[in-house]
Amino acid sequence: MVEVNIQSVWKYYGKTAAVKDLNLKCPENSFLAILGPSGCGKSSTLRMLAGLEHISAGEIFFGAVRVNQLPPKERDIAMVFENYALYPHKTVFENMANPLRLRNVNREEIDKRVRRAAELLQIDMLLDRKPMQLSGGQKQRTAIGRAIVREPKVFLFDEPIAHLDAKLRAHMRGELKHLQRRLETTTIYVTHDQLEAMSMADSIAVMHEGVLQQFGTPSDIYNHPANEWVAGFVGEPPMNFLNCRIEQGTSGVAVVHPSFRLILNDVQRRLLEEKGAEVEVRLGARPDTIAYRPGANSGLDVPAKVYVTEPLGGDMIVEVQLGADRLTVKTKIGPSANLDDPCTIGFDASRVHLFAASNGIAYF
Amino acid sequence: MASREIAQYPTATRRVLGVATILFVAFYLIWTLLPLLIMFLSSFKDLLDAFQLPATGDWGGAALLFTFEPTTKHYQNLFLDLNFGTYLGNSLIASLGSALVSVVLGSTAAYALSRLDFRGKNDLFFWIISTRMAPVVAVLVPLYAIFRSLDLIGTLPGLILAYTTFNLPFAIWILKGFFDNVPYAIEEAAMCDGSTRLQALRMIMPLVAPGIGAFIVLCVLFGWNDYLFSSIIGSGGAKTLPAATIALVQPQNIQWGSIMAAGAVTTVPMLFLGVLIRRYLVAGLTMGAVRE
Amino acid sequence: MTDQAINTGAGRPAVSPQAVVDAARPTGVRQIDYRPDAFNPAPSRRFYFLMMTPSIVLLAGISIYPFIWLIYMSLHTVGEAGQPDVWNDFKNFTRFATDGKFQNGWLLLIKYSAMCMVLEVGLGVLLAVILNRSKLEKFLVTIILMPMMMAPIIAGLVWLFLYNGAFGWYHWLLQSIGILGPTSVLGDSDIAMFGLVAVDVWQWTPLITLITLAGLKRVPQDQLEANMVDGAGPLRNFISVALPNIYPFLLIAVLLRFMDNFRFIDAILILTGGGPADATNMLPVYLFDVSFQYFKLGRGAAVALTLLLVTIVLGMVLVKLFEDPRRKIKVHGREEG
Repeated sequence: MVEVNIQSVWKYYGKTAAVKDLNLKCPENSFLAILGPSGCGKSSTLRMLAGLEHISAGEIFFGAVRVNQLPPKERDIAMVFENYALYPHKTVFENMANPLRLRNVNREEIDKRVRRAAELLQIDMLLDRKPMQLSGGQKQRTAIGRAIVREPKVFLFDEPIAHLDAKLRAHMRGELKHLQRRLETTTIYVTHDQLEAMSMADSIAVMHEGVLQQFGTPSDIYNHPANEWVAGFVGEPPMNFLNCRIEQGTSGVAVVHPSFRLILNDVQRRLLEEKGAEVEVRLGARPDTIAYRPGANSGLDVPAKVYVTEPLGGDMIVEVQLGADRLTVKTKIGPSANLDDPCTIGFDASRVHLFAASNGIAYF
Repeated sequence: MASREIAQYPTATRRVLGVATILFVAFYLIWTLLPLLIMFLSSFKDLLDAFQLPATGDWGGAALLFTFEPTTKHYQNLFLDLNFGTYLGNSLIASLGSALVSVVLGSTAAYALSRLDFRGKNDLFFWIISTRMAPVVAVLVPLYAIFRSLDLIGTLPGLILAYTTFNLPFAIWILKGFFDNVPYAIEEAAMCDGSTRLQALRMIMPLVAPGIGAFIVLCVLFGWNDYLFSSIIGSGGAKTLPAATIALVQPQNIQWGSIMAAGAVTTVPMLFLGVLIRRYLVAGLTMGAVRE
Repeated sequence: MTDQAINTGAGRPAVSPQAVVDAARPTGVRQIDYRPDAFNPAPSRRFYFLMMTPSIVLLAGISIYPFIWLIYMSLHTVGEAGQPDVWNDFKNFTRFATDGKFQNGWLLLIKYSAMCMVLEVGLGVLLAVILNRSKLEKFLVTIILMPMMMAPIIAGLVWLFLYNGAFGWYHWLLQSIGILGPTSVLGDSDIAMFGLVAVDVWQWTPLITLITLAGLKRVPQDQLEANMVDGAGPLRNFISVALPNIYPFLLIAVLLRFMDNFRFIDAILILTGGGPADATNMLPVYLFDVSFQYFKLGRGAAVALTLLLVTIVLGMVLVKLFEDPRRKIKVHGREEG
């Protein structure tokens, strides 16, 4: 319905800055997730969008309209709160009808729209209950229902499914994404759960300590992390990092670790030159890009020792001791191994990441 | 502490303790109720009966307390000759009026204090409650002067204002606690739904309403039972029940029958109110420091 | 998504050099260590302040103004009936040194309060412990709290009737038991004080009971059980588990009663009026006499200020205590109300 544009926005609580110089753009009808650990400023950002929190500096636009001074009522938004914030003394129906009543919609229309939303969310048999009598999932659906009875310009979600149990959460992820596609409304969704952000959003803004770390599509964030922190935060199990050096050898540019050396390809070398590489670097490799074979001299380039194996049904996590470093490797299920059993591992040079050791900025 | 759920086994000491407990409670109940009982009985006694006392040590004579010809003449005297209907009305108007003024002003201030953070908030809060802690006798003289300059002495509005001096700080203190218990997110949700700031506040009012109702009753209780203010600020045109009752104590002629009747008239409504708001009584009487 | 790069703002360093130095922070984080160029105007908080204004103005009118007036009066000999007030070089205060009634007033007030407190806390806690284990708790509490609902002045009148030397039932009772001589309770300067204490105990013990009951309800069951398992009897259990839990509540109760003894003198005024022979002439009563019997308003104001000062100190202690049980409520996570 409308594009949301956040321009150089700051949020101060007293002398502490919760959000620092944030620039974000959420295109019309798309789904933006703001992802970060607790205290990263994501909720403050959402509350500034809703008009619940004063914008200390900077500007927010909904389309062409600057909304800085507008109260929530005039922003035409709908928000779903982390703890649902239902009106405890009202029934599910009344809770959902409230936004319509406040806009003087006539009775039949209210009835029609609430019932339609309730059906969509499968809570139409609960309309006469009070929030006290609802389960967590039902409360959450009611809160969403209250947001969608109207056609607001922007949906704001503040960790709406964080308090549900794991199974229901997985189910609701799909439902919410489906709902957003169906209603085609600009949606901004705050979460600390990377799975929610990756699976639902068109674009993700990763925040940490009030600062936007990276803004891009889920695949950008995963495949091209902008810095070491983002690389480590997104992905499960997390990326491995190793201290390495860049060396100019006879066979080309290589990343050198006490236990191995990797020759970089042309694209990687060019990126390194463009960005003015330092000698000290951090090598990043996701657990599923590292190959693993049990036994000594089992064929891969780098000899190592097993620390522990954790079978997970179809897959297996192997912790590998490589000199002073420990790596996590994700592989197909295989035989368990004991502490210090020999093994070999291999890096896929085309899929590693390299970060500057001094400031963590990614070369590729 | 649901200690009754812990298994206990009867022993000799326990049985003795049990009897002692029952005796103690029985004694305490008598101690509590006897003055009230004597007040009620005496209010229905002719003075001759009321002044009947057995000889010292004559325990059987205690039955004299209950042997009398019931009469309602003291009550008739109060309401027909002594104008107690008016005083009852004054008590009602002054205490209820002050309760309402306190709750209206107090709830807005309490709400703001609950939702707003600013420097010096705690100091302001302490100052507010300290105005209630001040001994009445200490500030009575200047207050009298202020009220006189405003022409409020001996008027019901004056008395309402006087009661508000102790009910308002109490209101702010207690009601802030009520508002603190309502999550701000509910108001935020209302605002996102399209409420104005004020409509959002109205949205949470049903949640604090029971507390506010009980609190109004407490304010009525405090106003109703006041004597010092009503005797000084209300003297003249706005006599309330306690002040009117004291007026029956005349140096040469203490009208005990009427005094007991007036005491009963003053006390009975409050006994009912006390039962009505029992749940909130502790919080009320400890200024919210202790809740049940 | 076209804008993939980090938006670093115009010409500013994306990462501070501090990032590597500061070991406590995770590495490789983009940080911002500059401040915004300009702030938006602060939000209006007029809505809230408007809501507070009427109450604060009213309270200021009835507290600050009288307080200043009180200080002014205390420094002067206040002229009666249109006479001017005369500055008297702190005479109202310096005479405290030689004013026997003033010193006696404080002494009696403390003595009276202490007696009331010991009896009320003793009886109140005992009663609460018994009621807490009773099936009749609700019913008994309803009866017990009745005296609290009574206007103190009416309570005073009723007890005046009970103590009466000619027809008072308590007078007869006490004489029949043999602990009272021919003089009435309130007429004997040795025992009049006890007569007043009895009234206060009668009326306000229920408050201690109610507060203690509220405290006992919060004693965690698991602590009690753990202690029972460790082999503690009911008395040990009460002392080592229940008492520490209700102690802050009791402290508040005691302070409140203490301050109420400063505030409410209705019953004392009607029962003894300070007599006989000043045996119950506690400070607030003395103050009432100075101001309203003798109309020495300057002297009265000075006495009132000493009373106010002590009250404020007690109040500050009380407010500090208020924080304590509230925090306890959160710790135990019990529902309130």
